[in-house]
Amino acid sequence: MKPEKQVDLVIIGGGPAGMTAAIYAAQANLDTLILEESVTGGLVNSTHTVQNFPSYPKIHGMELMEKMKEHVDHLSIPVEEVCEVESLSLEREFKTIETDEAVFHSKAVILATGRKPIPLDLQTECEEVHYCAICDGGAYKGKRVLVVGGGNSGFDESLYLLQIDISHLTLIEVEDRFFAAESTQEQLLADKRVEARTGAKLVDLCLEDGHLAGAVIKDLSTGNHETIPVDGIFVFLGQTPNNELFKNQVALSDNGYIKAGPNMETNLPGVYSAGDINDKIFRQITTAMGDATIAALSAERYIRNLKRSML
Amino acid sequence: MFTTIDDSTYKNTIADTKDGILICFKKQCPHCKNMEKVLEKFAKKNDGVTFYKLDSEENPEARDELSAERAPTLVFIKEGAISATKAGLMNPKEMTAYYRSVQ
Repeated sequence: MKPEKQVDLVIIGGGPAGMTAAIYAAQANLDTLILEESVTGGLVNSTHTVQNFPSYPKIHGMELMEKMKEHVDHLSIPVEEVCEVESLSLEREFKTIETDEAVFHSKAVILATGRKPIPLDLQTECEEVHYCAICDGGAYKGKRVLVVGGGNSGFDESLYLLQIDISHLTLIEVEDRFFAAESTQEQLLADKRVEARTGAKLVDLCLEDGHLAGAVIKDLSTGNHETIPVDGIFVFLGQTPNNELFKNQVALSDNGYIKAGPNMETNLPGVYSAGDINDKIFRQITTAMGDATIAALSAERYIRNLKRSML
Repeated sequence: MFTTIDDSTYKNTIADTKDGILICFKKQCPHCKNMEKVLEKFAKKNDGVTFYKLDSEENPEARDELSAERAPTLVFIKEGAISATKAGLMNPKEMTAYYRSVQ
C-alpha cells in the first residue's frame, strides 16, 4: 500500500509556472506540494542564455531556475522531483493524485505541466542525433553539425555550439523565415561558420558503418534534394503540450492546450492551469509566472470558500 | 550522497569499488541534473551501491579514458572494474532495469 497524504493544493509541474504558483500558495498559508516528473526548472533549464527576465540582463536558464528553487526551498514547500504521476482524478470535489510512491488528496490542483520537445520524425536512427547542445555538443569540437529548427531554441543552442569550436554549422527551418529573436539571429548569422536556410527540411540521414555521415535536405520551394556532410544533428523542432495525464478530463483546444479562463480556471471546479500548457499566443517565463500568480490566488480563494462551506 | 572524484583519483577509486555508479556530468547540463536526482532516488532502494561524480569538462583525462564525451554518462563499476557505460538520461524505472541488466 502506498502512503496517503492530504494537502490543500497540489501543483503538477515544477517549471517557472509551478514554482511561482507554489510561492504564492505558501504565502497564503496553503499546505502545498509540487510534483515534478524530472527536476524543477522545466524547459528553462535547457536555455543557454535568458535575456528577457527583468532584473537579470543576462543569465543562464539553469542558474535562474536554481534561484527560483531557492525561493521555494526558503518557504519550505515540499517538492517531489523525478516523480511519476500515474493517475489523476480531477472531477470530484476532492482531487486524487497517485504517484509511483504515494497517493495525494487535495482540495485544488494547478496544472503546470508545460511542453516537451518534438522528436525528429525519421525512419533512420543513429546515436548522433541529439536534443541538447550543452549535454552532447562537446563531442563535435572541430566537426560539422546540422541544427534543425529556426526558433529561439535552435538559434540559442547554435550559439553555444559555436562557442565550443565546431568547424561548421548548418541551420535549417521548414518555414519561409526564422522565428528566433532578431538580436539572436543577427549574432548567429554574423558568424562565418554558419550557413542558414529557410524552406528546407531534413528528410533522411546517411550512415557509414552505423555512424552519421550526412543529412539529406529537401528544398521545399524547388523540391530538390541535397546531401550535406555532417557529423552530428541537433534537433529543436518546437514543443508539444504535456497533456497525457488529464486530456480526458480537462477541456483542451484542438491543438491540445488547456482552455483556461481569465482566472486560470479550467472546466473543472478547483482545477486551475498555468504556463506553457495553457492555450495562448505568447509563451515566455514572465507570462508563465503571470498565469501562475493568478492561478494560485484563484485556487486560494476557491479553497477558502470550500473550507467555509464545510463549516 | 556522491563522492566527487577527478583525474587524479578516478583509477584508484574504480579499482577499490565493489559495487558503484559514477556519473560524469557537465555543470550546465540539464539532463545531468535530472540524472543525479534519478540516482538519488535509486540509492534509497539500493543499499550497498557507492555513488561518485566527476565533472567531465574539468577532468579531460578521465573523460577520454571513460568515453564520457556525452553528458550524462554513467559508468557502472563491479568488483574493481568497469562493467558497463551508458550515455543519456534514464527515468527511475529504466535506471533500475539497466542496473539489473548489467549485474
